[in-house]
Formats: sequence, C-alpha cells, structure tokens
Amino acid sequence: MSYAAGDALPPFTIESVSPEAMKQWAVFLADPNPIHLDVEVVKAKGLGDRVINQGPINVAYMMNMLMRAFPGGQIMAMDSRFLDNVYGGDRAVVTGKVAAIEGNVVTCEFTLDVDGRGTVNSGTATVKI
Amino acid sequence: MSDPDDLPPAPDAAGTSLDGTRVFTITAEENAALCRSTGIEPATDGTAHPIYYYIATQVAMGKTVAGVCEACEFDVEDGPMMGSSGVRFDAPLKVGESYRVTGEILSLVRKRSRKLGVMDVLTYSLRLHLLDGTQVLETDNVWVLPRKEFAA
Repeated sequence: MSYAAGDALPPFTIESVSPEAMKQWAVFLADPNPIHLDVEVVKAKGLGDRVINQGPINVAYMMNMLMRAFPGGQIMAMDSRFLDNVYGGDRAVVTGKVAAIEGNVVTCEFTLDVDGRGTVNSGTATVKI
Repeated sequence: MSDPDDLPPAPDAAGTSLDGTRVFTITAEENAALCRSTGIEPATDGTAHPIYYYIATQVAMGKTVAGVCEACEFDVEDGPMMGSSGVRFDAPLKVGESYRVTGEILSLVRKRSRKLGVMDVLTYSLRLHLLDGTQVLETDNVWVLPRKEFAA
C-alpha cells in the first residue's frame, strides 16, 4: 500500500479493553500496581470505577496501527503523550495520518481515542518502509 | 504553571544511575502472549513487538519503579503518572535476543499546575544494549509525581 502526505491510515480498534490483559502486563512489566488489577483500589483512590490500563499497552495499540499500516516497515522513532486514562471495557480506536514522506521514511501523527471521552493518547512516529 | 519559587526545591535526583545488572531476554512465548493481548498476532520474521522498548528497559534497569520513585523522595503509593515516552531505535528488537540496560535520571523539576497542584516532573533516559555493548535503542520517559504534601 502506498501513501501520500495527508492520507489517513487504517484505524486500529480494540473493541473492549481487557482487564485480563492488564493482569498479563503486570507480569510483563514486573509492576503489580493494583490500580491495574483491583477495581476496589481504583475506587478507594478516587480514580474511577474500573481498572486502569497500563500506559505502555496504549502505546502498543498505537504501534499496532503503524505496523498494520506499513507491513514490513520498521518503526524508527516514536513519541507518545499520555493525556488521560484508558479503562477496562473501553472501546479504544487509534487513528492517524501521514504527515510527511521523505525517501523511504514516513512521518505519521496519530491519536488513541476512547468512546465518550475523546483523545487519551497522542503521538508521532517515523517509519522506514 | 505559576511561579514555583515559593516551594522548596525538588530533591536532587539528577544523575542517579539506572544502569541495570540483569539480562533481559525476549522469549517467543511471552512475545506471542503480549502481541495477542494487544490484538495482533506475533511477527513471523523473528522481530519482537516494539513495545518491548518500554518493557525491557523498565524490567532490566537498575531500580524498580518504586526505587526510581524513592530516588525522587516520592512514595510510589502516591501514584506516579506517565507523562510521555519517546524511543529511537537503532535496530529492531528480536525474539530470543538478550539485552542489558544503562541509564540515568536526567532531571526532577518542581512545578505547579492548575489540574494537579504541585508536582515533580521526572525525566529519565534508558538505553538498551546487546550483550556485546551495541546499542539498539534509547528511550526518554517523563513521569509526573503529584506532591500531595503541598496541597493547599
């Protein structure tokens, strides 16, 4: 698939963010922070009424969008900003566009949005194709 | 942000070493489970999910998350928040490959925000290396450490 500057990239959707995946990531990250595992802790801290997705999972969703958009490509650099939490059960959608193309390097801009609360992560990346 | 001059300075954490001592190996089994947990199948060309930039550096750096917070005189129970994360890859991460981490805290800056009140903004840099020393990536992460003890 070829793109031009300004083109939209195919979205990547998680229909329902999984609390079970958060348990797996607590092991991957060696970080058993209970706000990702125990809804009662989230409530006690006044952070909501659902478990909170680990931030790096949200980055992985954005990377997945890029890898799907550029099969065989290589992410060379990426910057992500964390604007709000993603909660268990959220429907999360990554959308993005091509900002620039220089030779075989594509610069992309993207956001991760959740239904009802808008953008929760944003980022830019360069991908070698 | 308002003038933070009326606040005591943030702890002097800049320069704290985050060099790791352990080796991190990306296993095929974990990479597959990780990929599927994010809604994709693992690659078939031997590359690992690039989010291992964050996982490998966090797991194999020289301090735990709680330890990094402690270096900033911050209780991890007070809830550090991710602000931003950047990565520059020199090479793709590979399944079956082993890596070491070097790094350091770059800065800890005290600020006041309308939304969070007083907070310390922590910036640290980590580098992932092959066991022969070849660098494969560098990442800079920014965490926000809310300082509840300065709440009005």
